Parts: sequence; C-alpha cells; structure tokens
Amino acid sequence: MSSEITTRSGADQIPVARRPATTPPPRPQTWVLKVIMAATGSVFVAFLLFHLAGNLKVYLPDDPRLHFNEYAHWLRGLLNPLLPGETFLWLFRGALALCLVLHVYSGLTIWVRGRRARGHHSRSINGTRHHLIGRTMIFSGLIILAFIVFHLLDLTVGRGVESREFSSKATFTLPEGGSVTDAYANLVHSFERWPVAVFYVLVMLVVALHLSHGIWSIVNDFGGTAHRTRTVFLFLADVIALIVVVGNASIPIAVLTGGITL
Amino acid sequence: MTDEKMRLILEVWRQDGPRAEGRFETHEITDATPEMSLLELLDRLNHKLVEEDVDPVAFESDCREGICGTCGLDVNGVPHGPEDNVPACGQHVRSFKSGDTVRFEPFRAKAFPVIRDLIVDRTGLDRIIQAGGTIAVDAGTAPDADTLQVTHDEAERALDFAGCIGCGACVAACPNGAAYLFTGAKLAHLALIPHGKQERAKRARSMVAQMEHEFGPCSQIGECALACPADIPLPAIAVVNRERIRAGFKRKAN
Repeated sequence: MSSEITTRSGADQIPVARRPATTPPPRPQTWVLKVIMAATGSVFVAFLLFHLAGNLKVYLPDDPRLHFNEYAHWLRGLLNPLLPGETFLWLFRGALALCLVLHVYSGLTIWVRGRRARGHHSRSINGTRHHLIGRTMIFSGLIILAFIVFHLLDLTVGRGVESREFSSKATFTLPEGGSVTDAYANLVHSFERWPVAVFYVLVMLVVALHLSHGIWSIVNDFGGTAHRTRTVFLFLADVIALIVVVGNASIPIAVLTGGITL
Repeated sequence: MTDEKMRLILEVWRQDGPRAEGRFETHEITDATPEMSLLELLDRLNHKLVEEDVDPVAFESDCREGICGTCGLDVNGVPHGPEDNVPACGQHVRSFKSGDTVRFEPFRAKAFPVIRDLIVDRTGLDRIIQAGGTIAVDAGTAPDADTLQVTHDEAERALDFAGCIGCGACVAACPNGAAYLFTGAKLAHLALIPHGKQERAKRARSMVAQMEHEFGPCSQIGECALACPADIPLPAIAVVNRERIRAGFKRKAN
C-alpha cells in the first residue's frame, strides 16, 4: 500500500523540494549571461589595448604634447568625412556604454545566482590563484565601474573632480593652424595631484586582477576546450593584464616624478 | 604495519533531520592508525558511540574503493578530504598528525539539503541526468564490427569524461554551488560517441536548463577539478558552454 510507504517513520522528514525537470530555468539563462559577459569583456579588452596605445604617446621623444593632442583630435573626428563631425565618436561611445550596461547587469545577476546556489556556507581556499581573483570579480568590477565614472568626470567632461587648470576650451594650437583641446595638459594637471595619481595606480592594479581572470574566463565562456587554446589564453590573460597595468600606471608615476611635464 | 596509535579530535556535524538544527559534536579517538581511511575513522567513532549507547553518525559509503561515488563529505571544509582528486574512502588518517582536529561536515550547497548528519540529498544531479544524460536512440541489433568507427583517441577521451562517479564534490567545492564539472563531463562524454551524437543538441539544451534550475553559475575558479575524485579535467566546464552555444545554432536533435 502506498500510504504505508509514505507514512513510514521519518519519511515525512525527507526533503520534498523535488523540482520537476520541466520547470523553466531562471531567465535570462545563465549561459546566455556568461556569453554576453565574454563578448562584452572582449570588447573592453580590445578597447583597453587601443586606449593604452593612445596613452603611451605621452612617451614620444619629441613634442609628446603635440602628438598626444593631435591623436586626441583625430579620435574625435574619426571616419570623417564618411561620418560628419563627431558622429562616429558618439556611435562608439554608445556601443561601449551598451556593452558596459550588459556586462554589469550580467555580472551582478551571475553573482547573485552564485551566492544563492552556494547557500549560507563558507568555502575554503584550496590553492588555485584564480580562486581569490575569481571570487572577487564582482568587487574589482564595481571598483572599475566607479573609476570609469571618475575618469570620465576628470579627463573627458571636466566636472566635479577635474584639476583646477582643466579646460575643455580650445587651448592648444596646432602647427598647421587651428586649435584643439589640450588633452595633454589636462592629463598632466590631473596627475600632478598626488592622491589622484595614487588612485589611478591602485585602480590599474585592480584592473589587472580583473583582466587576468576575465580573459581566462572568455575562453571558457565561449566554450574553448582545446588544450592549446586554453594554454594560450591563460598566458595571454596574464600578459595583457601586465601590459595594461605597467603601461597605464607608469603615466601618473612619471608625472609625479617629473618624467612627464608640460 | 605500524603499531603507532594516533589521537584525533573529531568534530562531527550532527543533524537529526532535514528541518532540524545542526550542530558540531566533539569526540576523541585515541586509537586511530595512519593507514585507516577517513571512513574507517568514522566507523571507529561509530563503534565507540554504539558502545556508549549513542546514535551513530549517519554517513554514506558503499564500495570504499573509489568507484561508486557514494561517499561524500567535507573534511576540514574540503570536499572528500585534504588530498586532491581522492574520494573520502581513499583519504587516510596519515594526512593528519596525532593531536589534530578533523572536522567532518556534510557537502555544503543549496542544492544539497542535509538529510541527516553527514548525508545530503544529491538527487539534483540525478535530475540533470534525467533531463538528457542518457542515450535514447533505438540501437537495434548489434551492428557488424567496424560499421561504427570510433578512433582510439576519441574513445579514450570519452572514457576520461565518462569517469565521473557523480559524487557531487565539484558542487561542494564550488564557491557558486555550480555543477558545471559534472554536467560538462556528461555532455562531453556523450557528444564524443556515435550513439550519443544523435541527440547532442537536444541533450545540451535540456541538461543545461535543468542544471541552471538548481545549481549556480561557473566562474572558472577551478576548485571543482581539484576536488574531483575521478580526475575530470577542468575543460569539462567549458564543454557546457560549447555544447549549449552549439545547440543554439541547431534546430535538430543532433
């Protein structure tokens, strides 16, 4: 008799959280979110490398101020005259902003789901370096998000946290005539404030941690199973992280130590 | 054989039922020997408890030679115990020093509710298998030899992934309570063999959906592959996304 089976001693204590296989998984599905993170993350990695290439113009031997400002000016008018004025710049910014929103949304959702699935239990660290970095991706990510806001206010918009000398007005005159924003001067003035310089350096270290795990995650999220692909990505993750941190963090240090001046 | 006797302090999780409050109980074993397995250490404790007329500690074990996947518990917070890639039955007291404290806890994950003491409900893994971890094609009578060709390397690779014993240590090791190593091992193994290929995409869709329903997301941390007593390699976690993305481009079952 089935009733006897279900009423045997203690049977009512067996957990009955039997979720049937037919109920839908949480939406959006986690694997979709992971693919979105990997895709948008790849965009950010590419962006960071291009951004770095532009930044490094401050180290050009003759007249870095001219080269840096010319480059900044060229960026604003990219794809002219195919797209007039700053059209491309704004398309580019829009795409990056969209990627950022998707990346942050996916990251937060995945983090919440992970915490829920673990339950109220601690986890011991059993050795892998990626344990600590992987588990703190949400925090390094939020620090970077805050930094992006600061960075835009400091050197792009010039509101709130910009240096006293910041000017978005045309202040730098090109040799062939015409005047452009003196982005180089804004950079130097900003980093001459030592707390800001230290902040930039520290954030770059956080970016490096985020990258070293993020780039390694890209290969996993896109389903890379081949041994060679995975080894290459594991190596690239550290190399790119190192390049970004050394390249970018050296600039505020150089300004503070007098290596870069107006 | 040594005559060396070890004194170990055992902190054991006691929980009368799924809804009961759990607590750690401390016991002392004075006659442990280095060659004892951790399960034998628990056996020793249970003998002692029975002699004292106390309920023995409930824990699961079956083959005790590392092939069944029945045993599974956290030892000092690590699934199965301090040695990497060894099931609890194959872990030995010699990993500890006399006087050490050994803490036995059930596997910890939201998807693994405690049934009693060190026993957890791991049927969440069964439900992933039910969702598609099987081969449901009519194989007919045995075909002639060599009509279904599988290269040696492919067969070996499929076997590597088929080695999963379903113990759940990957979930218990994962800071996200994810079952990617488990699911990935099944998907990889079945995608490599001829009969399994027939339902490759359909399987990926249903198993991943079921997995996400009860288990967490993967963050490529790598703890699972260190805990896995069947040596399932870490690329298994990437297999989950590889198979699911592939299925996204497919309308048919394969």
